[in-house]
Amino acid sequence: MGSVLKLKKDSSSETTDMALFVHRSDEALDSWNRERIVEALIRETCIDHDTARAISKEVEEIIMASGISTITAPLIRELVDAKLIERGLERARKMHTRLGVPLFDVDQMITHPNKENANVPHGPEATNLTLAESIKKEYALLNVFSREVGEAHMHGTIHLHDLGFIDRPYCSGQSLEYLKKFGLNLPNSLAMAKPAKHPEVLLAHMVKFGAALQSNFAGAIGWDAVNLFFAPYLVGMTDREMKQLAQMLIFEFSQQAVARGGQAIFTDINLYWEVPKHFADVPAIGPGGEYTGKTYAEYEKEAQRFVWQLFEVFKEGDGAGRPFFFPKPLVHITDKFFQTPGHLSFLNHICDVAAEKGNTYFVFDRGDTAKISECCRLSFKLERSDLEDAKEPWRMRYSAIQNVTLNLPRLSFMAKRDDTRLFDKIADIMELAVRAHLEKRSFIERLLSHEESGPLTLLNMDTDGTPYLRLNRSTYLIGMVGLNELTQYHTGEEMHESTEATRFGLKVIAHMKLLADHFSRRFGMRFVLEQTPAESTAHRFARLDLTYYPDEASQVVKGNPAQGEVYYTNSTLYNVSAPMNPIHRVKYEGRFHPLIEAGALTHIWLGEARPSAPSLANFVIKTFNRTKNDQIAFSPEFTCCNDCGKLDRGIHDRCTYCKSRNVDGITRITGYFTRISSWNKGKLGELKDRYRNHEYL
Amino acid sequence: MTLFTKRLCSACQEIKNSFDLEALGIKVEELGPDNPDALAHLAWHELVEDAQKNLPILVLNDSSAITDMLEIKNLLMRLSRKKK
Amino acid sequence: MSKYPNHIPPIKGFIETSFSDWPGMVCAVIFLPYCNLRCPFCHNHVLVLNPDSLENISLQSILDRLKPFKDWIDGVCITGGEPTIHRGLPGLIRKIRSAGLMVKLDTNGTQPEILNYLISEGLLDFVAMDVKAPLNDSKYTRASGVYVPVEIIRESIETLMSGRVQYMFRTTVVPSLHSRDDILEIARMLKGALGLTLQNFNPKDPLDPQMRKEKPYSDEALCLLQKEVDRVMKSKN
Repeated sequence: MGSVLKLKKDSSSETTDMALFVHRSDEALDSWNRERIVEALIRETCIDHDTARAISKEVEEIIMASGISTITAPLIRELVDAKLIERGLERARKMHTRLGVPLFDVDQMITHPNKENANVPHGPEATNLTLAESIKKEYALLNVFSREVGEAHMHGTIHLHDLGFIDRPYCSGQSLEYLKKFGLNLPNSLAMAKPAKHPEVLLAHMVKFGAALQSNFAGAIGWDAVNLFFAPYLVGMTDREMKQLAQMLIFEFSQQAVARGGQAIFTDINLYWEVPKHFADVPAIGPGGEYTGKTYAEYEKEAQRFVWQLFEVFKEGDGAGRPFFFPKPLVHITDKFFQTPGHLSFLNHICDVAAEKGNTYFVFDRGDTAKISECCRLSFKLERSDLEDAKEPWRMRYSAIQNVTLNLPRLSFMAKRDDTRLFDKIADIMELAVRAHLEKRSFIERLLSHEESGPLTLLNMDTDGTPYLRLNRSTYLIGMVGLNELTQYHTGEEMHESTEATRFGLKVIAHMKLLADHFSRRFGMRFVLEQTPAESTAHRFARLDLTYYPDEASQVVKGNPAQGEVYYTNSTLYNVSAPMNPIHRVKYEGRFHPLIEAGALTHIWLGEARPSAPSLANFVIKTFNRTKNDQIAFSPEFTCCNDCGKLDRGIHDRCTYCKSRNVDGITRITGYFTRISSWNKGKLGELKDRYRNHEYL
Repeated sequence: MTLFTKRLCSACQEIKNSFDLEALGIKVEELGPDNPDALAHLAWHELVEDAQKNLPILVLNDSSAITDMLEIKNLLMRLSRKKK
Repeated sequence: MSKYPNHIPPIKGFIETSFSDWPGMVCAVIFLPYCNLRCPFCHNHVLVLNPDSLENISLQSILDRLKPFKDWIDGVCITGGEPTIHRGLPGLIRKIRSAGLMVKLDTNGTQPEILNYLISEGLLDFVAMDVKAPLNDSKYTRASGVYVPVEIIRESIETLMSGRVQYMFRTTVVPSLHSRDDILEIARMLKGALGLTLQNFNPKDPLDPQMRKEKPYSDEALCLLQKEVDRVMKSKN
């Protein structure tokens, strides 16, 4: 409420008559009425009527005595809060708190871009998102989480991801089969669409459903075996038609920047060369949602031709030859992959894309594990019950409810190089993370319990007999930042510097893994470790530690403190600037991956070098056979000229072709490509430090 | 050499009962919910997934691993004989 | 044997792992100093003009470093500078081979005799030879920065095309040195060969500072030119 008051006191009446108009936040005008304060206090807090009246009178007196001619309603509320504090009514004050944003901040938001998440462009939609997020963030910290959890977040001991999306689960992975079987029938939508008969329509359903999911989840939206599930629709299509469809798919997801907050939908598409074992004998659903009478194994050819064309499009890049930022193609490399004819030429093809544009993610599913990858690095291993689901693939829907990241370096500062103390601290902080998850879960359950009339109707829709969000099957992620700096502070060596340091790092993660298992048993929930895509968290933790633990943090923090470009090394990765052979990197980082069930990734920064595609294929095969690494990606760097539009390899100050300085660098930030100009300071510091394989001599 | 075992694993118990592992210079790591050291050691040898399927696992000094029970027994038998 | 003494040429640079120096292989790269050419676009000119500013790296230390990667690294690419101007090259290659590694040689083709010797002895698994310009003395000389009698280049080309070793030809394309016709002329001359790969000139730090101002072809233009080259190389007449 904002209000303009003119006071004219009539002392004879009980209520003060003021020629005052209250300019409320719902854009209505009201006259001054002290009773409103009383009503609000009674409605929102638990104080008694007499106290409420007494406070309202005191506040009115202050306003009159001040002689001011204008006053805003938020100020009235703060004056009331001050009175609550005077009376020691702390709980009531908290309940009566007003959430909002200072004028200065709103002005900053409207005029300057958001640097916390490089996937948010700058524009009116983005500002809406930022404003909404800032209020929901405050709401979450005050009203969803306990004081301990909230404070740990604010102090930077832990990081609660996507607080601004407190009223949604974190991320979601699903199958096209849901749309193929049931069509597109969204709650609150004016029209329902029957199952698609044509591939273009199926794509349209996929895009719309993706957007609907984006408004119900905070993070990534993943799709399983996209090329395979499209296959029954592609029978009889020419390569040319297939490429056209591939182009439509990729452009649809890369240009969805008209959705929430002007953000492209963070879309992952999982792709296979072979027909995955768990789908081979599953009856295929085709046009019109009908079973085609064949199994998916019989659609191998169509699935292969389609995935080939998808990578043709990735290789060409967008209209200016730049790499597509989204969707992210995750190719699963399995034992069966190597037994499937044509796999070598396909591997060379996708390595060509990796070399040229960098898009390809290589996900290694060794032995019997099958996985579906979700967001930056998140993948779920399909367990026995999931493999049962695979017979009816529309049931395969996975979600992580929340992601909580631990500030590992800080724990080492607190432990003062004492082993026992360190491992106790880790146990304490894990317990706190679990508590945060319990609190988020009960909040989401509360929202879901409103069913049709609640906010999460999409997640409640039970087209196939179970709610879309299968809460009992969901996971709760526990991530980590700065294992390398923890090790450095505690043992005196970074992980790449000695075997002992790496082994100590492994012990920390093993400890965390066992604790996660322990809490899973205790609460009957799935807590799993994850490599957090700590885009802003790695910077935030480092910055806060330089404030709270300046002596300790300054010994290990990475980047350039003078420029404010500080960061901790992501998750369990090795120092990005360590001159480490890519072979060592995939092997050593891979040792951690089996302990990090929700998925892990090793980056190989290529810098300017343009590798040979068959050489990358050679390396990918060796990584599959000789390591436990879960996933790798090769990341080239580009400079895109805003004047002549040309693209060059490497990051340069000026355009190689027209020498203009109006250029943008493009490379992978954590799990996706973006323009460097949108990065936060920590990430900029890291970029300067990244060790590119090839920068010798 | 290291022998990775866990509790309530009859094959592990059998090996432990049949050989004087300490005398053979073999360290026994018992995997369990309270033993991060053993799990970290297992991860160092890249055997986490193997151990989920099958235990015991014997890791030799050159870091190669034997998962086959019969092979483990034969090797330990040979080593014991040499010792005598 | 005396023609090729046993002493090992100095090694001035080393890359442990490369994905870009040997198509299809994961390889290490070693750099030998000195060159008999002065190509204005050369990007390794420290090795050519001022190799003494770089420290020597011992072969043993390199082989020791590569040992733990034996399952990963297929071979070693020897480049420079120009490796073939060192008489000790065969000895160096033998040492590398006896460590179980394959060998690729990068050469400018100005030393056909030693090239022929290395191939005859079975010491090479792959050769990448630069063809700097169409085979006429003036164009070749302009691209090489020194006088090069093209007959020796022709001899090296024939040696490679005799089919005793896997090879590739490469041309670094610089707009002021090569017209489209020049490139196609090279392609025609190499017809019947396994292929000619065009490489884009990088103006970042060339031997001739004047070249820094040179604008390279765009990636698309080079890609189109490569397609034309491929067509010429494959055509029958």
